[in-house]
Amino acid sequence: MADIITAEGLTKVYRGKVTAVDHISFQVREGEIFGFLGPNGAGKTTTIKMLNTLASITEGRATVAGYDVAREPGAVRKSIGVVPQELTADDELSGTENMVLMANLHQVWRSSADSRIGSLLALVDLQDAAGRKVKTYSGGMRRRLQLIMGLLHEPKVLFLDEPTLGLDVQTRTKMWQYIKQLNREKGLTVFMTTHYLDEADSLCDRIAIVDHGTIRISGAPTELKEAHGGDIITLTLTNDRDDLTAFLSGIEGVKSVTRDGRVYRIKLPRTEKALPSIVAGVVQKEAEIEEISFSKPTLDQVFLDVVGKSMRDEEAPQSDSAWENIKMGRAR
Amino acid sequence: MRNPASIMPGLFTSLFYLILFGNSFNPANLFSSGGGSQASSVLQEAFGGAPTYITYLASGVICIILVFNMAFGGIDLVLDRQLGYLNSLLTAPIPRAAIFLSGVAQNLVKVLLLGVLTFIVALVIPNGLELPGSFSALSFIGVFGAFIFLGLGLSFVFTALALSVRSIDSLVAIVNFLTLPVMFMSNAFFPPSSFPDWLKTIANLNPVTKANEAARMLLINGSLNSSQASTYMWDMVYLIVFATLLGILGYLAAKRALRPE
Repeated sequence: MADIITAEGLTKVYRGKVTAVDHISFQVREGEIFGFLGPNGAGKTTTIKMLNTLASITEGRATVAGYDVAREPGAVRKSIGVVPQELTADDELSGTENMVLMANLHQVWRSSADSRIGSLLALVDLQDAAGRKVKTYSGGMRRRLQLIMGLLHEPKVLFLDEPTLGLDVQTRTKMWQYIKQLNREKGLTVFMTTHYLDEADSLCDRIAIVDHGTIRISGAPTELKEAHGGDIITLTLTNDRDDLTAFLSGIEGVKSVTRDGRVYRIKLPRTEKALPSIVAGVVQKEAEIEEISFSKPTLDQVFLDVVGKSMRDEEAPQSDSAWENIKMGRAR
Repeated sequence: MRNPASIMPGLFTSLFYLILFGNSFNPANLFSSGGGSQASSVLQEAFGGAPTYITYLASGVICIILVFNMAFGGIDLVLDRQLGYLNSLLTAPIPRAAIFLSGVAQNLVKVLLLGVLTFIVALVIPNGLELPGSFSALSFIGVFGAFIFLGLGLSFVFTALALSVRSIDSLVAIVNFLTLPVMFMSNAFFPPSSFPDWLKTIANLNPVTKANEAARMLLINGSLNSSQASTYMWDMVYLIVFATLLGILGYLAAKRALRPE
């Protein structure tokens, strides 16, 4: 598949001193969901702003849908849909009216706008609430409306900046479904940022882990997990008479073994292949197994491996929640 | 504009100006206790022959309402930027000039509507605006023609200013600094003939004075004689040049403000 977004040495320096994005290069293929994963302040939003023509590019080059972002901003704007972190729907207008407004802004005129608005509202299950003023909407409904407001002109690429920020777990899962549906049914390429590991894991075809303005690693979540974490078997024996480290390390498919008394932690790419030989080997060595468990890798392990600290050690997300509160407050 | 209550604070301001200013500052009151008819005819002359002080004051109040609401109307635009709405306009394929001009138009329409309402309020309050018999629909158009060009110029400035600042605090600081001199260095409340020379010079250059002079002549006289008509024409030329210049400056400033960050 062709690359629909390319970035080469993309750099953003604010006021000549603060480097928000530092020489990043990546490609997004047509039709995939590509995620920028990283802690707050990693440079995710700045990257999205550069690709969206909202921020100027200090150095490097980027293309979106075949157009150079710096030289053909108008053509880029026609090809993209942007869903910002903030909720920008007008409280005093109904869902449909907000959609009509966006249609006009994107020069989608009445005849085609009406049917598109109807089908998009239905897609995110807002058809019943469409006639109500947005100020009566819940946080989840607002996010859903926000998601489709950027789609009226049928863009090739959709940019989502933290699409589920501040939503509860159930509503987030529902949002993922809608995003996947848009991706599959409309063949929409999605470029998104998130600081939720589970979101990146379950939603994205490929991700790039960013920290301090640079891409530390990129690839499909499963690939990254295999390369950086792999499965872990935790084997507890009834006694610590013999040291089985060397023996276990020799078993085919095992990557590394660490021992802590009776407890062995065995890292390996895939549990299913090596488990029988491990169990058989332990029995053959006349050791008794007290407990055996294994865990599938998570992106958190990858993150820990690559960035050197856990995502969960990061501060709680703050983003623009203060403004969101004001906006919500205005609505009530 | 979906929320009609949003216009109420502005309307109250005009009521306050008209009723409080109109009564407390009414110079005729100073002479009411035995000042005699001589004093009041002198006053009437100084006030361009206005039958009541509010007749003199009304166009001034409308100008001030225009200036203040236009200036503080920019707060909405700063909020639009802070709440991210401006960004959704900036990522849409619309010319940057259209974003600026829609701000200008929105501000202008809102404030002119308030001007018309103030005009109606001045007419209905007791001892208020007394129109001459010769006041026609054409006179009304003449009055608001002056206000439209004043408003347009102001809207260019204040819209560009609101797009250029990043916080409401700085907007309010600049606006306070600008509006008070504009209000007092004009003929809005008192005739400049009573001012010291330096103030008179500044007041005569103030576009508020020009709009007010033009509108006030029509409100007091209804139809104009030839020298009044030529004053009116020159006032309008001044206002159109003022609006054009500020339109160019405003556009350049807005273009700068809407550039990618």
